[in-house]
Amino acid sequence: MRLQTALASAGVLVLGLAACSSGGGGSSDDDSTITVAYQKTAQFHQLDDLLQKAKTEYEAANEGRTIELVPIEAEQDQYFTKLALMNGSPDTAPDVIYEDTFQIRSDAAAGYLLPIDDYLADWDDWDQFLDTAKQAGLGDDGKTYGVSMGTDTRGLYYNKDLFAQAGLPTDWQPESWDDVLDAARTLKEKLPDVTPLNVYAGKAGGEQTTMQGFEMLLYGTDDELYDADSQKWITGSTGFEDSLGFLETIYTEGLAPSLDVALDASVGARVASELLPQGKLAMAVDGSWLPGGWISGDNAWPEWEDTMGMAAMPTQDGQDPGFTSMSGGWTLAVGSQASDPQAAFDFIALALNQENSLKYDTENSQIAVRSDVAEDPEYLGYNPSFEFFSSLVEYTHFRPATPDYSQISSTIQVAAESVATGQADAAQAARTYDDGLVGIVGADATQAAG
Amino acid sequence: MTAMTPTTTSVVTTPRRTPSVASPRRRTGRAFVAVVLIGVGVAFLVPLAWIVLAALDPAATVSVKLPESFTLDNFSQIMTWDQTFRPLWNSAVISGGTAILTVLASVLAAYPLSRYQMRFRKPFLYAILFGTCLPITAMMVPVYALFVNLGLLDNVPGTVFFLTATSLPMAIWMTKNFMDSVPVSLEEAAWVDGAGSMTALARVVVPLMRPGIAVVFIFVFTQAWGNFFVPFVLLFSPGNQPAAVAIYNFFGTYGTIAYGRLAAFSLLYSVPVLVLYLLVQRFSGGSFAMSGAVKG
Amino acid sequence: MTSLVLGARTPGGVRRPRRRPGRAALRLLPLLPAVVLMAVFLAGPVLWSFYGSLTNQALTGYRAAAPEFVGLDNYTALFGDGQFWKAVVLTVVFVGASAVVGQNVLGMALALMLRATGRVLRSVVSAIVVVAWVLPEIVAAFALYAFFATDGTLNNVLGWFELTGPTWLITFPMLAVILANIWRGTAFSMMVYDAALAEVPPEITEAASIDGATGAQRFLRITVPMIRRAISTNLMLTTLQTLAVFTLIWVMTGGGPGTSSSTLPVLAYQEAFKFAQVGYGTAIATVTLLVGAVFSIVYIRVLKPEVD
Repeated sequence: MRLQTALASAGVLVLGLAACSSGGGGSSDDDSTITVAYQKTAQFHQLDDLLQKAKTEYEAANEGRTIELVPIEAEQDQYFTKLALMNGSPDTAPDVIYEDTFQIRSDAAAGYLLPIDDYLADWDDWDQFLDTAKQAGLGDDGKTYGVSMGTDTRGLYYNKDLFAQAGLPTDWQPESWDDVLDAARTLKEKLPDVTPLNVYAGKAGGEQTTMQGFEMLLYGTDDELYDADSQKWITGSTGFEDSLGFLETIYTEGLAPSLDVALDASVGARVASELLPQGKLAMAVDGSWLPGGWISGDNAWPEWEDTMGMAAMPTQDGQDPGFTSMSGGWTLAVGSQASDPQAAFDFIALALNQENSLKYDTENSQIAVRSDVAEDPEYLGYNPSFEFFSSLVEYTHFRPATPDYSQISSTIQVAAESVATGQADAAQAARTYDDGLVGIVGADATQAAG
Repeated sequence: MTAMTPTTTSVVTTPRRTPSVASPRRRTGRAFVAVVLIGVGVAFLVPLAWIVLAALDPAATVSVKLPESFTLDNFSQIMTWDQTFRPLWNSAVISGGTAILTVLASVLAAYPLSRYQMRFRKPFLYAILFGTCLPITAMMVPVYALFVNLGLLDNVPGTVFFLTATSLPMAIWMTKNFMDSVPVSLEEAAWVDGAGSMTALARVVVPLMRPGIAVVFIFVFTQAWGNFFVPFVLLFSPGNQPAAVAIYNFFGTYGTIAYGRLAAFSLLYSVPVLVLYLLVQRFSGGSFAMSGAVKG
Repeated sequence: MTSLVLGARTPGGVRRPRRRPGRAALRLLPLLPAVVLMAVFLAGPVLWSFYGSLTNQALTGYRAAAPEFVGLDNYTALFGDGQFWKAVVLTVVFVGASAVVGQNVLGMALALMLRATGRVLRSVVSAIVVVAWVLPEIVAAFALYAFFATDGTLNNVLGWFELTGPTWLITFPMLAVILANIWRGTAFSMMVYDAALAEVPPEITEAASIDGATGAQRFLRITVPMIRRAISTNLMLTTLQTLAVFTLIWVMTGGGPGTSSSTLPVLAYQEAFKFAQVGYGTAIATVTLLVGAVFSIVYIRVLKPEVD
């Protein structure tokens, strides 16, 4: 009797534990359910809108199948972290992933993504995609891992009203970094309550600090991060140090936002929804998608067309070709653990068909990568900034496409933040970056700038 | 003797001695103490006041201020299933599951530890004590890696097991101490009647230590309810995330513009643990009060 | 609400005298669920921590697919990393200033003062202090973030005196998180010391008082020695709790600016999950774990709590 009771109570508990551990869980292993992981924030709801629409359409067309949307509510950097955590385990790896192009090589190498060439071969729409967009989805092995949703460029936004108040021209195009700094200094002097210029430099900002911030400077110098011909990363370049020097200048001279704003993870959202619309910030190096949030949504700002001017980012000293820009973009990718890859791909094909791409590219101010969208009058007429940002494509650069890039990007963010906070000067920060770089890729994969 | 028992004191004890006739020096002393205490009280109150006032303020900012008008809009705006109720429900499931499992496992474990003399009892109890001291947050990176291998990521029961395991050392320790205070003579009567030890545990010991069990339950529940880091790393889908994570996401995506709603959510999320704390005080008012617990 | 407090001597279980063969195993059975759970979910991560710190596992890239065993490379890199030593120093500062000094001294002062004041003030002040401790950690972190924010309460109050406060979370991040942790944790020490002080027989201090000892003398020469066990236990427990603080720092400063407030738990999280170096982050976690273990062992050895 005693034995039974003791055994029973212990046994029931242990069995109970085992039993409930097998049930439950978020992402279903059920073949008929496709889980879609993507980013959603208060400012960035356009993708959620698109996927909700695609979900309805897909489920209507495929009886018995379910799309499970898993929005990850986080700023970009945290989104990458969460996504990486989910991908870490086959049980939680999503079937469809909203994937930044720069992560593709790294995540493909990690085995998180599934090559989709076979499915693309049967997809007629694939011919509509521009070659650059197709390349953006390639992994190190030359296979395609993602379908591009749109691309982007980056430039300088400036507030014409504030420029007028400061006595600066409202039709403005700087020719060098010094032109930008001069304008910023004038603004600071004339309008002490306004922040003259934002260039991202915070670690918490993640990739936006690297791409909208640092790389918009570096790719306007004579140096780059990576020598694609020799396939080596560059250390000790003047351009790298000068770019950090520019950040150091604007942050130490008080031309940039105060550090409590600049280093916060929400700085990107604040620039777009608060600082620019409220006239608290006069110039911002930022992405082509900003007007998307001003045209519609919670932070709609109809006056933006009259208030905001746009200029191309000049090269350091105005050297050829005179201007610079960076292009990235996002894709939808199939997770390597997808239980039914064809179904996952079909969902992507539906979500990025002509109609849905048009919707997403207009609402989120993307530069269309489908020619049938790019030529659509509705697309061209939707947003007056499209013409300008499309014109930057001729100056644009792409990030080094290597699996190491995402880690190296984090090292750049550390360097940028250390000069913005004054914890290091540009030369020190550049050396720290070089050390970090060698630590990531090894000394053999680097070469000194020459 | 320094066994560890839960902090189950009514907030602070009443001093035994009240000064009889106050000398002038003592009176200035008392006034000084009162002033300092009021100062400390205000300093502790201000951050708390922000939560309450901002939640009722239609135009809340990060600074504490008396709202120009009071509103419940902040609450009504967040009263949705996705935003508030599902995370709170998830918190309740996770904390409740953790507390029930912990209490069951620790009552069972405490019985042999309290009642039998065994060779490894002492080392075992020292190990338990050691376990209570480990910095769990430092372990979240390896815990994540372990969960990947166990296939338990984004799995509510998995998270409950982990939280249970981390609260068990403390709970076993507390439960054993409570059980020690139940006289064995009462069980002996049951043994004479032919009942097994488990029957005696269920019929005699557990009913007698019900307040102690309540204290352990509430203690574990509150800890799990307030835990942010564990579900932050282990749970991903919104359908599984508890309030602590939901509130953090809210701060990340709306934080700078919606302080009023953030405060309202924080308030709703905090009320259960405040109520439970009051309950603990009631349960512990008698036999388990900490007053008189610390000896040199 | 992690609380461990010295308890009263318990009556102690009476053991059943007779032993029968086979009985011992049966008696241990009720321990099984707890032991299994702790073995898998508590000992498991600890062991994994040691193992994982010897690999170069990453969250993404080739090393995520096929992590390699790298021996002590992570530790070699760690001990040569200025960042790590900075985090060690910050952790020591954080624990020392907020737990060892802040919570303990303020907790003791409050316990003493609350015993020397009227009932109303005593209940009100102690209730406020305790609420700060009972609140979920993330809520406490938001409240303090708002308090120290640039346009937050503290700077507004300074504004009344025509003072312009600094951007606390940027300029003095460590000060902000230290004060925050004192705010949050003092209640615990206050309650421990209050209970300890209640045990000091008033006759003894009264006798000393008649002998002409001043208040400070009475406190240092009589009270402190009498409650020294409570003091050492409390020091150890607040130290261990503070060593594990993550949420408070994460919400308030994110470990920044730069790495100015990255204590060991924050650094481990960042290295493992932001920089995707799981193996390296695990090595940091292992070091933190070892520090905690050393403290625990010292605590158990010095105080010899009776496990009876």
